[in-house]
Amino acid sequence: MTQTSGHSGAGADLILAPTQSTPSVAADWRSGRLEMAGESYPENTYEIFDGIISWVQTFLELTDRPLRLELQLSYLNTSSIRAMIDIFDRLEHFVHSGRDISVLWLYNNRNPRSAELGEEFKEDYTFEFDIVAIPD
Amino acid sequence: MPPAPLPSADDPLDVRIAELLADERYLGHPLRDLLEAMIERMGQQLTRLERITTISDRYQSSAREQMCHLSRRYDQQIRKLEKAIRISDRYQAMLADLNKALQEASTHDQLTGLPNRRLMADRLLQEDHRTLREGTTYSLLAIDVDRFKGINDRFGHEVGDKVLVALARVFRNSLRDYDACARWGGEEFLALLAGADLATAQLVAQRLIEAVRGLQVDVPDAVVEPRVSIGVAEHRSGERYNDVYRRADAALLIAKQNGRDRFLVAEDPRGDAAPPPQALC
Repeated sequence: MTQTSGHSGAGADLILAPTQSTPSVAADWRSGRLEMAGESYPENTYEIFDGIISWVQTFLELTDRPLRLELQLSYLNTSSIRAMIDIFDRLEHFVHSGRDISVLWLYNNRNPRSAELGEEFKEDYTFEFDIVAIPD
Repeated sequence: MPPAPLPSADDPLDVRIAELLADERYLGHPLRDLLEAMIERMGQQLTRLERITTISDRYQSSAREQMCHLSRRYDQQIRKLEKAIRISDRYQAMLADLNKALQEASTHDQLTGLPNRRLMADRLLQEDHRTLREGTTYSLLAIDVDRFKGINDRFGHEVGDKVLVALARVFRNSLRDYDACARWGGEEFLALLAGADLATAQLVAQRLIEAVRGLQVDVPDAVVEPRVSIGVAEHRSGERYNDVYRRADAALLIAKQNGRDRFLVAEDPRGDAAPPPQALC
């Protein structure tokens, strides 16, 4: 179901294949990109988000390179929302020390309400947070 | 032995005592030594008291800082949770709407917006149960568009669809709120008249036929005036909706054979007297 390529910890990529209740995750250490796509309503949120959060934290602490998040999340349960807020809070912390961080919130044209969700997440943060529709 | 440091040089009493102790005239006086010792002890105790106060103040301010820190973190957590709940509510509302749309799509005909066969079958089943439970009755109208294939062939399927939509509107407007009309098949509709006996059902069928006769569907360079034929059947005890429908459908077939644009009452399954009124119109 899930697999991690490379070694865990610093410098490693984090690749998780999507399941019915978890999104696909692709965190690329070299390019400084974290992509998540799909739905997230796992029984145990920490199982998937602990790895993601620690990847973000490690990347931010051990490098000074830009970090870009590309998110296309069509459904999140409450615990997953909390975990995403946790990630965004960490980004915000590093942005204050001048770090180059940006988030791209992608949503399907057919579901414009997902844009409102992006807006809701974006509130309170000072880093670049773009909300962009993608065609069907 | 030097006099002990006095607590305050501003205090008149302290100043007076210091003067007296410094006065050589009183050297050797027994009370002088006692006073000096007492002043020294007082000074030590004051010093100790000050140290205790300082330490205690430090404890208090650190406790207060910790409280502030905790309360700040608590506020942050509350804000975070409130935000998560707000977003979660939005997701749920989105899902609920999607659910409604799916429900609608699975129970209604996309073209006409009428209930589809699946929803109608549910309704009919409920009606069957009601007849058993409450001894009520119902009637069915099997409605078919006359020469629909001709309309499609001549004007194209788009016009055919337009005719179906217009007819659906007529049916909806001509029925009572608690009746139901479904798109049963291609150009076939089925109306359920709850609680209606045969006499009432015939009136409704007559009304539908007349309403359709007044219908004109505009198409490029022409006006289509569709007509319908209807088979009417009332539920009889022991029947299930499928039986009632079969009889209505058989009557519909005869109505077609008899020249269309009319309704016909189905034969009674019991073969009772009650001759079908054959109310052609």
